[in-house]
Parts: sequence; structure tokens; C-alpha cells
Amino acid sequence: MTSPMLELTGVKKSFGGNHVIPGLDLTLNAGEVTALIGPNGAGKTTIFNLITGFLRPDEGQVVYKGENLHGVTPEGIFRKGLVRTFQEVRVFGGITVLENVLVGREHGFRSWRATKRNTAAAMETLQLVGLDRKVHVMARDLSYAEQKFLSLARVLASDAELLLLDEPTSGLDGRSLDLVTALIPRLHEMGRTVLIIEHNLDVVRSIAERIVFLESGRVIATGTGDELFARQDLADIYFGGGVQ
Amino acid sequence: MLQFTINLLIMASIAAIVASSLNLLIGYTGVFSIAHAIFYGVGAYATALVSLHWGSSLLLALVVALVSSGVLSVLLALPAARVTGEYFVVVSLAFALVASTVFAQWTPVTGGPAGLVGISRATLFGIGLNSNESYLVLSLALLALVTVILYVLIRHTPLGRSLQALRDDPLAAQALGKNPFRLRLTAVVISAALASTGGVVYAGYIAFVNADGFGEQGGVLFMAMVILGGAGTLSGPIIGAFFITLFPALLEFADLPSQAKGPLEQIIYGAALVLLMLVRPSGIAGIFSALSPGHWRRARAVAGADAGRQPVTGVPVPGEYTPTGGAA
Repeated sequence: MTSPMLELTGVKKSFGGNHVIPGLDLTLNAGEVTALIGPNGAGKTTIFNLITGFLRPDEGQVVYKGENLHGVTPEGIFRKGLVRTFQEVRVFGGITVLENVLVGREHGFRSWRATKRNTAAAMETLQLVGLDRKVHVMARDLSYAEQKFLSLARVLASDAELLLLDEPTSGLDGRSLDLVTALIPRLHEMGRTVLIIEHNLDVVRSIAERIVFLESGRVIATGTGDELFARQDLADIYFGGGVQ
Repeated sequence: MLQFTINLLIMASIAAIVASSLNLLIGYTGVFSIAHAIFYGVGAYATALVSLHWGSSLLLALVVALVSSGVLSVLLALPAARVTGEYFVVVSLAFALVASTVFAQWTPVTGGPAGLVGISRATLFGIGLNSNESYLVLSLALLALVTVILYVLIRHTPLGRSLQALRDDPLAAQALGKNPFRLRLTAVVISAALASTGGVVYAGYIAFVNADGFGEQGGVLFMAMVILGGAGTLSGPIIGAFFITLFPALLEFADLPSQAKGPLEQIIYGAALVLLMLVRPSGIAGIFSALSPGHWRRARAVAGADAGRQPVTGVPVPGEYTPTGGAA
């Protein structure tokens, strides 16, 4: 039996009169890879923003390892062990690939003495994502796919235990997809907990131990890929009823 | 002619010190401050007061200038570092207006509109820096020191990396644990302290300090030096400062009609700035960078190594996965 790492209880969020998250309960277990899927506008990225402190819930609570995250800033939440990527590529274009990764590992004055260790860890991660030959290239000069991998490398190199990955495969070609699809189980092996938003259902099926299906900000189904992908009602919601 | 040239070079070096320190905010932190000339002024007034009351020690003047400008900069940063972009500009403008009024009106301390006179040339380890040549060496040495400090800070410290991350993407920096307020505050204090060292040289060299040049107009001028030279490069603000200081002097030698010389110089000067920004928005340093061999080395580094990316070693791609593309 795995222990709950993150619990969202009765979380609500509205923008004006639009109830994007009308009431959400969600639990993540330590060491699991969980996928959040659902049609566009289901509130997936909003949930990421609520968990990581970029948005505050109107009601309800987000509890990480028993601690209520209410009022904690995004940087404070990172220090508690949660790190995220964004749907769009957000690399630090004016610094090198290596420096991008170091940013996620260096915090406070202690990091001044640990540069060698941090650099070694950063290099190891860059090798993992295939960017080890471009460590001194400015991040803005990378291709789109490489920038996606750099975003991934930054969160992988951090010491965070819970990784929130927002559409890590969007816009990637087949070879890059293979790399991401192979990488995520590796994170699992390393003991990381992963919550991933992903539209590519092939990827979801291959990497997620548990899938949470959202519609209009509510969890309408939870289960394994085999359980959920067999359900015609979910397929109808996901594809708008037009695809079998 | 020699003394005229030395004077220009000293003034250009002082401007380069202030512009380089401002570049830490504009070029490396993404903060546009119009208040920067204040800290240059604080350094100058601190030096004047040290000279008039405690003697001509350069080191004492530097310590007083660094501490006083650092402390004062916290007053700017506490409200301003909570906002970004144009809001920071507005807060810094308000701060510059208040400070220039204080410089001009706080007569018991600053001498009011008449300023402070009788500032002696500095001494360093008992050696008087009495000649203009010695001040040229001092200003160039201080410029070199400021540049080295900035180079180490920007290229070799976690703080420098964090500042640049904040500049490039504040949200992503926050998501990686960076506190934007604390980082901006730190950058403002460091850059203000460095700017004050320019004021130390200025006050000792001119031997007179008043409020002129330490308000919003001075702030805009230093900002122009940074942007014109090339923000976010170490050489850019130095090039910009020398260009803006020396270019009007060079126009003096142009064969312009005497009755329209002043306005024509201003028009040529302004047109040159506009043209440069249109042709090369990355500043003068961008022109040199594009022509340098290093530029082509970097281009080759970007182009190379694509074939080096391989799937993660030892981790099989799950068998059921077929790359058929996304569902959405």
C-alpha cells in the first residue's frame, strides 16, 4: 500500500463566473506515475497551477506530505519538493544549456560551495536527455524539441520528489517522443512521483500506472489504461463522440 | 589637447562605471531603472562630505559611498522590487524626482543648489592623486575592477545565473525556487553600490558636486548608454558610455556652420542614435559580436551534435507504444 503524497480536497476555482474547477478531490501516491487526461478546457493546467502556487484555490485545500500549501508561494512550494514544467517552452534563453539546469539546483549560499557537485549532476541529467553535447550553447539557439528536453532536464536535475509535467511530448517528432516515453519510467525507477498532463494517449497508456480522467474540472473516472481506454463513454467525451 | 583628451577619457570611464553597474539591472535582471544616477550622486556627495570633514582618503570615501548607496538603494528596492516592467520604471522615476529634490534642497548636507566646493583630490595609501593623469589611471582601474566583479558575478556564481533566469522567464524561475523579490532587491543593492564608485572618482576629479546630472535626466542618459552599447553584454555599456561621451566632442571638430553648430550637433547626434537602434537593436556591442570569430564558433556549436542525441541508454521503449501521434 503506497502512502498519499499529495491530496487535493474540495478544491474550487472560478474565473469571473466561469467555474473552471467546481470541486476537485484528487490523491497522488508516492512513487506512482499518474496521468491527468481529458478534453481541452477540462482544467488540467489549472490544477497544476493550483498545486504549484501560481493560483490559489477559492475553496478547499492542497496538502503535500501532510502540510497544507495554502498561501505558500511557487518558490516555497518548489523548496518543499514539487517542481513543474509548463505547457509552453519556458527556457532561460540568455544563458547556456548547462546554466539552465544549474538554476534548478542552486539555492541559497550553500550552493556556492557545491558548484562542482551540481555541475556533475547537471551533466548527468543532460546526458540522459541527449543534450550533453550542447551544454555551452545558449538555450535560445536550441531547436523546439531540444528546448522541451531542456525544460525536462531542469526539473529532473532538481531534487524535487514530485514532478508535474505539463504536456512534455507536445510538438515533438517520433524520435523525441521515444526519448520522453523511455525517460518517464526511468524517473519512476528513481523513486520520483510523477503527475503528467498528456494528450498523446499512446504515451499515456505506456507510462502511466494510474490515469485520472477529467471533464469540466471534475474527476469522472480513475483507473489503469486498460480499464479506462475500454470505456466508450470516456472516448465519446474525449473525442467529442466523433471517433471510436 | 592632451589634457582635453584625458578629461574626456576620465568622464567616459566614470560614465562607463555607472552604465556597467546599471547593466546588472537592465541587461542581466530585466529591471529598467531611471533612478540609477541617484547612487552615482550619493557616491559623489559621500566623497565630498568625507573630503570636507574627514580628509581625502580614497578608501574611506569608497567605503562610505558603498555603504550609503547600498542602504539607500534598499529604500528604492523595497517597493520597486515587488513590481516589474513599466511599473518599476515609474517607481524609479518617482524615486529619482524625490532624490534630485533632496540633493538640491537639503542645504545643510548637500550645499543646496550651490553644491559642495573645495573637495580635495583623493589620496591612496598616502599618495596624492593630484594630476589628471593619476585620475585617468584611477578611473580606468576602477572600471576594470567593476567589470571583473560583474563578470565573475554573472558568469560564475549561482546568483548571476538566477538573475538571468529571472530576466528571461520570471514564472519559470519561480517554479524552480527563485524568489523574484529577493533577487531584484539584491541586484538593486549591488548595482547601486557599484554605481557609487563612479561618483567617488567624479567628486574628487571635478572638486565640486551639485545636484546636476544625478536626477532623472542622468538616469535616462545612463540607460541610453546601456541600451545603445548593448544591454546584457559586459562590453556594451562601456562602449555606449564612451560613444555618448566622446561623440559630441568629436562633432566639435566637424566643419559645421558656426551659427547653427549647437543645434546641428544635437540633430546629428540624435539621428546617429536612432539609426544605430534601427540597424542594430542589440547595440554597438552586437556589431562587434557579429564580426568576431567567436560568433562563428558559437554558430558551429549550435549547428553541431544533433546526431548525438540518442534515446536513454539501457531503457527500452515500452513495447505497446507505437508513435502514431497525439489524440488531441
